[in-house]
Amino acid sequence: MTFSSAVPASERLPVTVLTGYLGAGKTTLLNRILTHEHGLKVAVIVNEFGEVGIDNQLVIDADEEIFEMNNGCICCTVRGDLIRIIGNLMKRRDRFDHLIIETTGLADPAPVIQTFFVDEDLRDELRLDAVVTLVDLHHVEQHWEAEEVQEQLAFADVLVLNKTDLVDPSSRQAIEQRVRAINPMARLLTSSNADVPIDQILGVGAFELERALSLDPGFLVDEHAHEHDDAVSSVAFVEERPMDLERLSKWLSDLVAERGPDLFRMKGLIQLAGKDQRYVLQSVHMLIDGDFDRSWKTGERRRTEFVIIGRDLDTEALRSGFLACVA
Amino acid sequence: MPAPATLVSERLCGELQQAITTLSWSRDGEFLAIASAGGELLFLDFRAGFEELLQGDRDVSLDSIGFSADGQFLMAVGQAGELLLWELGGSGIRPMALEPLPLGAGWLDAALWQPDGLLLAVAAGRQVRLWDGAKRQWRPDTLSLPGSVQALSWSPDGLQLAASCHKEVAIWRPTTPLADEPWRAPTGSAGLALAFSPMGGLLASGQMDRSLLLWPAVGHVRPWQFSGFPAKVRALAWSDQSSRFAPPLAVASGDSVVLWRQQDKSSQGWKPEPLIWHQKRVTALAFAPGRPLLASASADGTVGLWDGRGRLRQPLEGEGQGFNALAWRPDGRHLAAGGDQGRWWLWPMNIPQGSAGRAPTSGKGFR
Repeated sequence: MTFSSAVPASERLPVTVLTGYLGAGKTTLLNRILTHEHGLKVAVIVNEFGEVGIDNQLVIDADEEIFEMNNGCICCTVRGDLIRIIGNLMKRRDRFDHLIIETTGLADPAPVIQTFFVDEDLRDELRLDAVVTLVDLHHVEQHWEAEEVQEQLAFADVLVLNKTDLVDPSSRQAIEQRVRAINPMARLLTSSNADVPIDQILGVGAFELERALSLDPGFLVDEHAHEHDDAVSSVAFVEERPMDLERLSKWLSDLVAERGPDLFRMKGLIQLAGKDQRYVLQSVHMLIDGDFDRSWKTGERRRTEFVIIGRDLDTEALRSGFLACVA
Repeated sequence: MPAPATLVSERLCGELQQAITTLSWSRDGEFLAIASAGGELLFLDFRAGFEELLQGDRDVSLDSIGFSADGQFLMAVGQAGELLLWELGGSGIRPMALEPLPLGAGWLDAALWQPDGLLLAVAAGRQVRLWDGAKRQWRPDTLSLPGSVQALSWSPDGLQLAASCHKEVAIWRPTTPLADEPWRAPTGSAGLALAFSPMGGLLASGQMDRSLLLWPAVGHVRPWQFSGFPAKVRALAWSDQSSRFAPPLAVASGDSVVLWRQQDKSSQGWKPEPLIWHQKRVTALAFAPGRPLLASASADGTVGLWDGRGRLRQPLEGEGQGFNALAWRPDGRHLAAGGDQGRWWLWPMNIPQGSAGRAPTSGKGFR
């Protein structure tokens, strides 16, 4: 399965998935988005009833409902409530410009994300813009062991470290490092009262391949800074030698077939042997998408950057698998 | 062989502010109601020649509407999560709105009157509730399903009510004095469309996993399953034309319509005939009452009229907008359709007198 749709991205409605543990500030952020003068008409689907304190006809309640499509494999689960409600809502698509899905604090983001790639209707009508995860700097350490917290961090394209006013700089930095160890590729924002620039949250284009990579170069150098023993972690590889696309594809398809449920997200910017164009790829569980991007620019450092975020990752096995793909 | 006469040569049309979601005729064909994704509800009284917008654009969708069999009530449900009811006093009398009934179950998109009675089934989250028009109140008993109810269908005799959700179809006999346990059958995915056959006691379910399930008789736990559709099976329509076996069944999946006919009683007895013509999603299917004439509506901006052998008799155009909904007048001689930009159409059919079908009622009021 791939991310592709027959319909060009520009014709599909952008969707932002907003996650975060209980009390992280999702509702505050939503209220900000709904009242902010950003010129966008935003429709919101909420799973926690009555939380959004704004009377708005485009705030719609939905009761979270997981549809297992295929033997209960996590990679094939989608959200039936979203399919039904968005199907109804899309008859009015000329009335709004952006859709936000607010998940409950305990929701697994994967079925929400997969819905927009797996469901035949939504795939052609919407495009996932980004997964935005709020982190409660004040309380996250108490919840760190919760599986949901680590998964919500792992799936994020944008991480908002909220309530910065309630923690001292050193604990903020410690949390930031721990968050970075789980997810090195998300855009990191810091806020108090969820006061973040809306243009950093909406219109991110994180799932568009050409914009998919915003790797933090600092992290890539610093790939062994593991102080925490979290179940969810990441590995990042940088390789100066060109790669072989055939071997890489084979390795990745075997990898997701075997470890798909534990591989949350992967992103890669690949330098291929004998190609003047960059190759970009990304994945969510077993969904993989890859394509040629623009040509390398003159003077641009040609190299491969590859990040894997998952549960119980075997760094050495992944490294040798990756290195075997060098051309 | 002479060319068949043109079926449609004139039309009536009008405009709402938002996409038409559904249309519905009263049993006597005197009233037509049209609902939109903005919550507009237009009521047309053909005998008296008047129309009234019962509700204007509120930007809150209405998704299912219908007249009770006796013409006493018009109902509507949608995004607001309320059951809206109007009491009708007959032609020339303005419908009177009753107090809205909130259900507290989120967006409502399936509600269906009993074919000959006054029970209204409403899908409300994981329950089917029944509003009793005779007593003007909710019945205390409900049908519970393990997931959100996706589709409803009454048997033609009004005794059985089928409801589907992810992985289950349930059939309830709400009017049986002894409250039977509902009959439940597991399915592989969500049932998106349900339809009892007009005769022969079959139940069809169009599934999200691109399959069609067909129970030859209710109570048979193992349905026939037909897989390999190009997309979700989202619309079903049974013909009311009698045949040696089951009546023909039209099925919409993606941009194709498939006409299924039963050749013998075995599991291999059903033969599909694809009707390939539409270029985008087929959104609605309806057989003309009393005639072997199928209408198919598509997001590609066309309605196809197909004869009983699956030949395209006439294409109808949507003037630049896709079609969302279809409804035949009960006389089978007028077809109403709704567009995704708010336009509605009414096409009288030039059907020769004496051609197959029930005695038609007069088409008074149409120009």
